[in-house]
Amino acid sequence: MFTYLVRRLIYVLPVAVGVSVICFLLVHIAPGDPLTAIMPVDATQEEQAAMRSAYGLDKPLPVQYAIWIGKAVSGDLGKSIATGRPVADEVFSAVKNSLLLAFSASVIAFPIGLFLGFLAGYYRDTIFDRLVTSVAITGVSVPNYWLGIVLVIIFSVQLGWLPSMGAGPGGSGSWSWDYAHIRHLILPAVTLAVVPIGIVARTVRALVGDIFSMDFVQALYAKGLTHGDVLFHVIRNAAPTALSVMGLQLGYLLGGSILIETVFNWPGSGFLLSNAIFQRDLPLLQGTILILSLFFVGMNLIVDVAQAAIDPRIKRS
Amino acid sequence: MAALSIAVLASGTVQSWAEGTLRIGMTAADIPLTTGQTDQGGEGMRFMGYTVYDSLIEWDLTSADKPSTLIPGLATEWSVDANDKTKWTFKIREGVTFHDGSPFTAHDVVWNLDKLLDSESEQYDPRQSAQGKSRIPAVDTYKAVDDYTLEITTKEPNATLPYQLAWILMSSKANWEAHDKNWEEVAKEPSGTGPWKLTSFVPRERAELVPNTEYWDETRIPKLDKMVLMPLPEPNARTAALLSGQVDWIEAPAPDTIPALTGNGFEIVSNAYPHNWTWHLSRLEGSPWNDIRVRKAANLAIDREGLTELLGGLAVPAQGFLPPSSQWFGNPTFEVKYDPEAAKELLAEAGYGPDKPLKVKALISPSGSGQMLPLPMNEYVQQSLAEVGIDVEFMVVEWNQMINLWRAGAADPSVEGSQSINFTYFIQDPFTGLIRHLSCDLIAPNGTNWGHYCDEEMQDLFKQIKTTFDAEAQDAVLKKTHEKYVNDALFLMVTHDVAPRAMSPKVKGFVQAQNWYQNFSGITIEE
Amino acid sequence: MSAASDTAELAEPVVKTRGYWSGVVRRFSRDPVALTCAVIVLALILAAIFAPYLGLNDPYHASMIKRLKPIGYPGFPLGTDEQGRDMLSRLIYGGRLTLFVGLMPVVFAFFIGSALGLVAGYAGGWINTLIMRTVDVFFAFPSVLLAIAISSALGAGIINSLVSLTIVFIPPIARVAESATAGVRSLDYIDAARASGGGALTIIRVHIIGNVLGPIFVYATSLTSVCMILAAGLSFLGIGVRPPEPEWGLMLNTLRTAIYVNPWVAALPGLMIFITSLCLNLLSDGLRSAMNVKD
Repeated sequence: MFTYLVRRLIYVLPVAVGVSVICFLLVHIAPGDPLTAIMPVDATQEEQAAMRSAYGLDKPLPVQYAIWIGKAVSGDLGKSIATGRPVADEVFSAVKNSLLLAFSASVIAFPIGLFLGFLAGYYRDTIFDRLVTSVAITGVSVPNYWLGIVLVIIFSVQLGWLPSMGAGPGGSGSWSWDYAHIRHLILPAVTLAVVPIGIVARTVRALVGDIFSMDFVQALYAKGLTHGDVLFHVIRNAAPTALSVMGLQLGYLLGGSILIETVFNWPGSGFLLSNAIFQRDLPLLQGTILILSLFFVGMNLIVDVAQAAIDPRIKRS
Repeated sequence: MAALSIAVLASGTVQSWAEGTLRIGMTAADIPLTTGQTDQGGEGMRFMGYTVYDSLIEWDLTSADKPSTLIPGLATEWSVDANDKTKWTFKIREGVTFHDGSPFTAHDVVWNLDKLLDSESEQYDPRQSAQGKSRIPAVDTYKAVDDYTLEITTKEPNATLPYQLAWILMSSKANWEAHDKNWEEVAKEPSGTGPWKLTSFVPRERAELVPNTEYWDETRIPKLDKMVLMPLPEPNARTAALLSGQVDWIEAPAPDTIPALTGNGFEIVSNAYPHNWTWHLSRLEGSPWNDIRVRKAANLAIDREGLTELLGGLAVPAQGFLPPSSQWFGNPTFEVKYDPEAAKELLAEAGYGPDKPLKVKALISPSGSGQMLPLPMNEYVQQSLAEVGIDVEFMVVEWNQMINLWRAGAADPSVEGSQSINFTYFIQDPFTGLIRHLSCDLIAPNGTNWGHYCDEEMQDLFKQIKTTFDAEAQDAVLKKTHEKYVNDALFLMVTHDVAPRAMSPKVKGFVQAQNWYQNFSGITIEE
Repeated sequence: MSAASDTAELAEPVVKTRGYWSGVVRRFSRDPVALTCAVIVLALILAAIFAPYLGLNDPYHASMIKRLKPIGYPGFPLGTDEQGRDMLSRLIYGGRLTLFVGLMPVVFAFFIGSALGLVAGYAGGWINTLIMRTVDVFFAFPSVLLAIAISSALGAGIINSLVSLTIVFIPPIARVAESATAGVRSLDYIDAARASGGGALTIIRVHIIGNVLGPIFVYATSLTSVCMILAAGLSFLGIGVRPPEPEWGLMLNTLRTAIYVNPWVAALPGLMIFITSLCLNLLSDGLRSAMNVKD
């Protein structure tokens, strides 16, 4: 186990470096002048040139990368061009909001997905199974940004029950777990939960169904175990895969909520990212992508290690 | 049903707020720069400029009925030396203090100008400089004669200096020193002399302003307890926020959402202001727009009333380059109206007809600040021009790219031979309103004369504007200049925005000035 | 959005015979759900291709007087959009770009990813390491994030969307192809073929491609729905197809302010994305079970 952990950690390093290179390159091959957004439209050419060198954008790319990554390692992601604030501050406060949304969506999605998936796998090929399968496939097929708009039409515009934007009446700076704030969380969290409900339900259904059809289940019954005991064994066997799927989904929720955050004006990392894209705010753009993808890399690592830890069958060496 | 539940919802949300709090949804994506010279264009100056800060000379924002004019701000009077027309003297208002308690003097003006213009000075701030430096091109040297007398010399005689200085906002030196001379720290706790104090802000989400009860102009001490600014760049999110009672006021509601807003009891406030929506024409050799008959024909081809309908009535049809209500409109002889028959005749005279249609290429962007509804509006213009025999081919680029192409000018290869650019203009003062678009010395990329127009007579008028120091005589020259703009049909003049804002009926006492900036001091919230 | 994550654990290779394929067809034709979906997808594709011959209104013709008319308005069965253009016509024409940008990246990624995976899996050694570690780096990004990052870097446009989505889907397909190839390679009959003097290319062609492409193909079909949603999502964000082209994601975006005037017309483009992606998923499931590929 220990050697596995070490190997897995060593393997992460080159991936992380690769990720940082791609983040950097992606942002820098982009056309358009990043300084356009912050200069008055009628700034002179000299003023533009002075600005460019003030932001270090006149240096060759490898030098810019070296400077950037060198500082990034020590937690300094540079300053946002558009706002002048440290990128690290901006990204972490946004990631906090995204995590809040992602965890809330998980809290909705995972129990429902597990429950539906397990029952469908258990009662395979019944009406119930078909029903769950339909729900699940609907969940994975729905474009969630559209679903978000539809929910806004129904619950905000037509019924007026729930707010349609923002993270609470006082913004995210004052988040608290009271009614006024949670109301803001409901629509985006539900919207975001739909896809993982489908994925978890599908995975668990297949998993549980397969395990029940395996020989060892029959053997357990033959050994005279009670139904409850057999269920316990099945769950134990299904747990590692189910856990890893859920872990990955959490990572996806964080990185994939960009569209949903845009629909609901949720002040998270996705919202930050789409602002950064349209303002061509390079330091902010590369910082946000880097943190999100490194978070995802870390999530993968945790999932792998956790899976190895709880699954005695996996002998990874 | 919807209205009822929204009302219930609104009353539920509001309880947590003190009485007299006005919450505004801005179109900017972020809180404008708070340190003094703001970013985010006109909106930044409106909400974070003239609220927290003052300038030496300000715009009179008290009237909705007439175009606003310059009034004394932190300077009580100013004059140019009778013998040396480059030397200006300003009397600084006495008894003004910054929010931090430090007094405001002529030395602070010098300090603030150095902040923008002198890159060697300790307080030089590239971010504020980027916003402010280009606004005061006339300024050469400046010094404080005593605490309350300031002297500025210009590079050449320039009577538009007062308009230029209306851009420059004064931040506190004492506050900057108290924050370790670090502008980023100042941004969190800025200090100006304005009617509002910034008390807190969450980047990208909200800023809170409270009244400065010590403000030097008692008529402009805010009546509200608090004003909250929220950046809501997405028009839909703004409308939804207003409908669900999350804000009381939104800037620029999308025309499509206006019926839903008025249907739910919200009010739409608008007024003419110095903004225009035109096609800036290329005057390079070979451009069909060099023929005045073609320019006039295009101007006569557009049914501006129909366009106004498309915009939900929220537009002023153009009769010239400046809005009809402008003090510098004058009496142009060429009438900008819808007359397709006359347009066809002019085109025929110019040698175009059904068998030889005129083809033009036009640069447009699907979005952009102040561009109103660029795609449908341009398609409307395209359709109108097609009806008189002008075939328009569009080159569509992103807004950021559009800004670059506008800076580059019509002769740059990157515009791919486009013969016009649909770029809306802030036209509040003589320089931004008239001079910068057509001056020979400002031909792009050295300046903002995109179309490379250069005309001796026009150049002479511009010179007169700069050298006429008597305000009335200067207005007369400005009128003459605008008359030439219209009579020569130098732009395809289409429409003017009216700065619509939607607000809850609880908001009382707002007077929308004919200006990019507004006065928030008289507003109250009725519970 | 996340199917790219559940990289299928692949089954043992199925030895294919003529009987296998007729079995696949037989099983598929007895699956009413998959058949229905196949018909719907086919109908959407055909309608998109032959749109000019369907007697529809001009999808680009705008009329300011006829803006945002409701569903069932005379002459406009599905109403009009924010510029008074015929929704029915735009939805059908919109299928062209949406389906093209939504499906082609998977096709490209299928070829490129399979090739990379085959080479890596067959060659092993440093070639494998080089290819697969590079793939790992791209795989380390959440797919939505990667697609948005690349698209925003390249700028809006059809070609750029195709490129960015293809890059997003190469890594998962390459991974599946590599593990399937590596699995087959170690089997005895490859050794037998090699022993009998077969060249590498022949072995790849005859044995490996024959036995691994099926599972990769099925896996790739399961990505089409994600790709569709993602492609439309890029346009929805404004970094995909440019206006005024009809495309469902872009239509959804430009109709957003219309939800206060005519919500159900505004929701139509999303409904089209939903129906198509649902059918693609069901079709993929049907193929999977017809081809006996395990989850």
